[in-house]
Order: sequence, then C-alpha cells, then structure tokens
Amino acid sequence: MKVIMEVRERHRPNLPIEAECIVPKNFVGPERTFYVWKGNKKLDIRDVFHIRRDGHANSVDKVEIIIRGDSSHIKRIGEYMDGGRITIEGDIGMHCGNFMSDGVIEIMGSADSWLGREMNGGKIICHGDAADYVGSGYRGEKRGMKGGTIEIMGDVGDFAGETLAGGEIVIHGDAGDMPGVDMKDGILVIRGDCSRACGNMTGGTCTVLGTVHDMLPTFRNEGTEQRGEHVLTKFSGDHISRGLGTLYINNFKYMD
Amino acid sequence: MSELLIKNGYVIDPLNDIHGEIMDIAVRDGRIVESVGNAADIIDAHGMLTLPGGIDSHTHICGTKVNFGRYMSPEDMRAGRTTRKGDMHATSGFSVPTTYGNSYRYSRMGYTTLLEGAMAPMEARHTHEEFQYTPLQDCMANTLFDGNWQALEAIGNGDIKRLAGVLAWYLTASKGFAVKLTNPGGTEAWGFGNDVSCINDKIEHFNVSPREIITGMIEANEMLNLPHSVHLHCNNLGKPGNYLCTLDTYNSIPDLNEKRQSLYSTHVQFHSYGGTSWHDFCSKAEDIARSVNNKPQIVIDSGQVMFGKTTTMTADGPMEFNLYRLYHNKWSNHDVELETGSGIIPVLYRRKNLVNAVMWAIGLELALLVDSPWQCILATDNPNGAPFVKYPEVMALLMSKKYRDAEFATVDPATESRVSLPALDRELDWEEIAIATRAAQAKALGLVDYGKGHLGIGADADIAIYPIDVSSTDPTTDYETIINGFSTTDYTIKLGHVVSRKGTCSIDNSNRTFWVRPRVPDNYDMNHDPAFIDCFNKYYSMRMANYPVQEEYAVRNICIETEATL
Repeated sequence: MKVIMEVRERHRPNLPIEAECIVPKNFVGPERTFYVWKGNKKLDIRDVFHIRRDGHANSVDKVEIIIRGDSSHIKRIGEYMDGGRITIEGDIGMHCGNFMSDGVIEIMGSADSWLGREMNGGKIICHGDAADYVGSGYRGEKRGMKGGTIEIMGDVGDFAGETLAGGEIVIHGDAGDMPGVDMKDGILVIRGDCSRACGNMTGGTCTVLGTVHDMLPTFRNEGTEQRGEHVLTKFSGDHISRGLGTLYINNFKYMD
Repeated sequence: MSELLIKNGYVIDPLNDIHGEIMDIAVRDGRIVESVGNAADIIDAHGMLTLPGGIDSHTHICGTKVNFGRYMSPEDMRAGRTTRKGDMHATSGFSVPTTYGNSYRYSRMGYTTLLEGAMAPMEARHTHEEFQYTPLQDCMANTLFDGNWQALEAIGNGDIKRLAGVLAWYLTASKGFAVKLTNPGGTEAWGFGNDVSCINDKIEHFNVSPREIITGMIEANEMLNLPHSVHLHCNNLGKPGNYLCTLDTYNSIPDLNEKRQSLYSTHVQFHSYGGTSWHDFCSKAEDIARSVNNKPQIVIDSGQVMFGKTTTMTADGPMEFNLYRLYHNKWSNHDVELETGSGIIPVLYRRKNLVNAVMWAIGLELALLVDSPWQCILATDNPNGAPFVKYPEVMALLMSKKYRDAEFATVDPATESRVSLPALDRELDWEEIAIATRAAQAKALGLVDYGKGHLGIGADADIAIYPIDVSSTDPTTDYETIINGFSTTDYTIKLGHVVSRKGTCSIDNSNRTFWVRPRVPDNYDMNHDPAFIDCFNKYYSMRMANYPVQEEYAVRNICIETEATL
C-alpha cells in the first residue's frame, strides 16, 4: 500500500509543523483522521497535505509513505516508527525518525537537525546533507542512539552521534565539530574530515578516513593498524574519563 | 463566611486521642468548629479514611539549590510532564519538578504543610519567591547555620548568649523557621578543601568542633524559645562506618525541652552505616534505633531510599564531592560566602546494586525498630532518597510484611547477610501511619498550637480524605489498595477549601509562609552590635541593610514571635 502525501502550498512555509502522526503504523487498517500542530494551532492533516492512498494494508510492513513537496519544515516524521517505509522526495525538518525501532526512512534531499535521535533500530538513509545532532541523545540524557543504522551521503553538522550507545552511523562526507562526543558504544564512521572527534568517549569505535583537526590530546596513540584497505592510526581514550573507546584515524592535526 | 461539613468520615486524629471513629467535622472560615448551620456545603466521607492534612517535615522543594537541580537536569524535566488542565498549570520534572508540579503532587497525596529542609540565609529571597508559587501548601524553611562565621566565632568564644543573638538576627532577616545544621563545621572546612571526620575534629581558624557547634546551637535554640528544635544533618553522611559518629552525636544531646524534642535528626538512614568500606558495608539501624528509643530528646526522620532515578541535593558540599567520585556523573558545587555551601548530583538507586539495596532496607528498619512513631517520621529527604511521590509505597512497605518480603525478593541476594529487615515482623497500623505522616511532624515542628497536624476545635481546616475503607481493607495483604489510596485523595482540604479532588487541583491563594522572630534584649540585638556590623562590612559582598528579606517576599505570612530568655 502506498500513501502519497503532497505538501500543499503554504501561506507561510517557514512556520514549522509538528507531524508525529506521520508514521506507517497509523495507516494500517481503516482510515482515520489525524491532526498536526502549527504553533499552538491544531490543524487537520488534510489542511497541510494532499493525501492519496493506493490500496489497503493490514500489516505495517506493507505501508509505504511518500512525502512530496516542500517538507523542509515538517518535524517529527517517523517518530516511534516500528516498521514500513517512508520516502521523502525533498528535504525534511527536524527530529525525523525519533525513537524509531524498525523500518526504513529514505530522504532524497537533506535533513535538518536531530535526525534519528535516540533511535533503537531500523535504517535511515539520507542522500543529501544532515544538520546537527545526527543519531544523538537529547539534552541531559546519558545514552543516545542505541541501535539501527544511519547513512548520510553528504556532510553533517556538529555533534553527530553525541552519546551514541549502539548501532552504526556512516557519514560519507565531512562531519562538523565534536562528532561522537560522550560516545558510549556503537560504531561511527566518517569518510571525510571533522574536528575534535569523540571527546569524553567511554566506549565504541570511531573511524575517520579523512583528517581530524584539533585532535584531542587526551587520546593515546597506539600505533598504526591495517583496517580493510586503509592503514590507520589507532588511538585509545578518552583517558580523561577512564575511556575504553577506540579511534582509527587516517590523518590528524593537533591544535597549534 | 464559608461553611463545610464533612460527614461520616473514619477519623484518626492522634493528637486529640481519636483512634478511628466515625464522626463529622465542621469547618467555618478555614477553622475547625463545633458545628455549622444547615446551609453548609456537605462532603460525604462515608467509608473513607479522614486524617489531618499531611506535613512533610524535611523536603527540598524551593530555593536556589533545588532550582539548580532543575537546570542541570533537562532529562529530569522531560520525565514528568503534564499538560495544562483546568486551573492547573502545565508541569514538568520528576525528582525536581517545577513549583506547581511539587504543589499539585503533594496536594494530591493530601499534604498541606511543607518544610523546606535547607535555606542559605543569603539566598532566602529565592526560596520565598518559590513558596509563593507553591499555592496549595503552607511552607516554612530551615535556615542554615552550619558554617556561619559569626555563629562559629561566638561558639569559639563560649558565648552562647551572643550565639542566640546571632541566630535571632539571621532567622529574622531570612524569614526562616528553624535552625538547620548540615554537616556542622564540615561545609566550612570544605571551603578550604577539607572535611571533618567526626564530631571531635577542630575546624581551622575558629577552633571549634562539631560537638561544640551542635550542643551550643541546641542551648541557644532553647534560649530563643523557638517552636522547632535544632534540625541536624549529622557529620559523615553516606560513609560506611558512620553510625559510630551518629551515636556519639546522640550521646551528647541534652534534654532541654519538655514539650518537644531537643534535636531533630534528619535522614538518619544515610547515617546508619556499618563496615569500613563499600565492600563490607552493612546496616547498623538496630544500634541507632536503640539509641533513639532511650532518648526522648531526639526525633528522627528515616530518609528512606526508594529505587529509581532521583537527584541528590544538600548543603553538604564535601559529601556530594565524594558521590561524584563514586558515580562520575555531572555535579555542581556551590559556596555561600560566610554561611554554607551546597552540592547537587543526579543518581540512580538500583535494586540489583548491593549498596543501594542495603540503603533501602536501612530506612525501613529504622521505621520499624524505633518503638514510638512519634520519634521516627516518615520522609525520603525528597528528592535525595526518592521523590516524595513514593511516600504511599513507603507506607505500604511499613504496613505490610508481605509486601516487604515480595520487594526483598527482587533485590541483590547478598543484601540478606547485611541487614536485619527480613527478621522484622512489625507492621504499622493506621494510627501509627497517621502519626508518622502528620501528627509527629506537627509536634516536632512545634506547630500543634498553630493549628497544624490535628482536627481539634480551632485547628486549621487542613484535611485529607483518602478513598480507603478501613473496615474492609487489611493493610497487611491489600498493599495495592494502600498505595493507590494514599496516592490520590478524594478530597484534600486546605484552610476549608477543597484544593484537590481526585487528583485535580484548583487554584487556592491561601498559602502562607511561617517564620519566626525571636525578641532579644538590646545588648544582644545584632543590628547595633559593632563587631557584627564590622564583620558584615568586611566579608560579605552584600550590605547589611540590603540583606534582610523584605515583607514583599512573604505575601501571606504568619510570624511566630518568641521572647528570648537571655
């Protein structure tokens, strides 16, 4: 079953809309009405989207939601998603795939901050760039993403994989400042450059195939190691917090 | 004139010797009266347990350190969110909720009076501001004196009358209610990177020991004829083997007051540890309880620990530093000029952690081993041991051996060799619970004469009506009923108004702040004392004239004036 949701032309397209109801499990079985929030106003979802349903599904895995149009300010899509598929043809707003535990979200454009925050399972593929806090935890929490996979084809902003506690994040482009900060477990791969990687990390593995700028001095250089086709420098740390994490880096530069 | 008649409630009022009678309670204009007219509103409390409004005699709900707990724990704010509903504001937070969150949740449990456990006098304004936004309870605050330079100097010189003058000035200036000592001497030593190991260590510069501070303060407190006694958080909190220090402290407490205790010892669970390290850590609740049973001059509260997430906050800075070294979690530490300090750390008490399980058992042991419920008050030192919303569970644990055994089966099995809890058969009855949750507090705080903790004629009409049918409930087996019943009242009445109805609260702007103003002779009035003024000018960052909390900060207040005998 396909649900095609086309964002209607909006009078003020920069006002964010909170649409946590857009998740495949809500489209299983008979048709229901849903509401979204714009600021403190509650709107019928049909005021924001033109919705077309093709077919009928009785299990969540058969549902595919396709979002078209300018969805760059639609937030919380795929929150608590537990199966099925969401395809976003353009850009997507903040908090996409929060807490998701299964299923696939594919974003053809770019994603805003907090993509896959605190996710537990499933897969997110983003063909463009992603902003800050990809696969991170939330304010004050000690453990962020605990399972699943996030793959970003472009660049990401700061704090990617903050408090990462499981699962895998692969970034094909560059990452910003402090990727993997407070990382507890899991795998973080950055194929481009970044700066100050993995501060305060206590576990897990981070691989940077580009250059780490402003390398933190609290990691210990353990020599080089062959990793797949690359020869990388291995670091242990972060020793400032008795860390047992591992950092594999192609190039690194300490702060002048 | 508003009149209210509560009919056919099952009333327990320990202070007036009412031990479970079906009776009516008449209320006029916020007070309990003999009878009311026919036009009175009627509440049918048939088959419901009707008690005086609950009193928490040691909780941390308002003030600078509570607020710091709020902003260093955004994850806690996320944990207990409720939306706006009718008159009720939106709230958030679990262990350190917003002021409205505290007020609604306490009111829902039938609590109408709260004592903020520790207020640094210099930061008293913040506490009083938050009291205003705790709309459904009367509040009062303990004022911290553990590291007060002027007080320590008077003690060092052996001048207890001058000490009384200093206490009087600070209590009046901060609109505080009682004298609080938190790790006396220890927080002052911590300002220089040290701590005290027990009550006989001398503190640098002032050359006084915690023992001298405690006994001196008790003497001065009684000279001022204050309603409450000295409120003490002993030295060495949370260290294995600290029970010896606690016993030593208790042994030096004189009995100076006929009406109430001379020392209120708070969160004693944290002070009843045996062993020499965390490896041989064990319960010494029996020794502590025996000491308390022999000393009518001491009242304790248990400081029960319950499993789950919470936030610890205390003026005991060095203790929080030790906790930080144990958990490596985020923490904060704070120094308050010439007075005291504080520290905050979020913690998680786990069933499967041996130390945590032993702590949980010690709190229960204390409550069961202290013979008189008047001497062992039920409290969790909210939020240090657990958020106050866990009180109903604590009550059920104390009332039901079956529930205790069921819970005990879920904790670390090694606990059994460290505690005596499984051997204790005592089960508190309804009256003992009523004493340990309201009457004993009112007596210990000296507020019986001010209409708190009882339902006699002229008392404040603070009444909690719980949906528990005592005749058909066996607390030893129906512990679920106990927990549910004590969690949400059918009616919580505050000064004659229903402020909470089955958990839905309404606005009631009759909350008041209680504070004390001891009158001292002119030669002990610190306002005109050159040495006191000189110390202020030299060391405080604040002018003495700007220091006292203005009337505006305590909008509806009840000032308890006492005449000092100096």
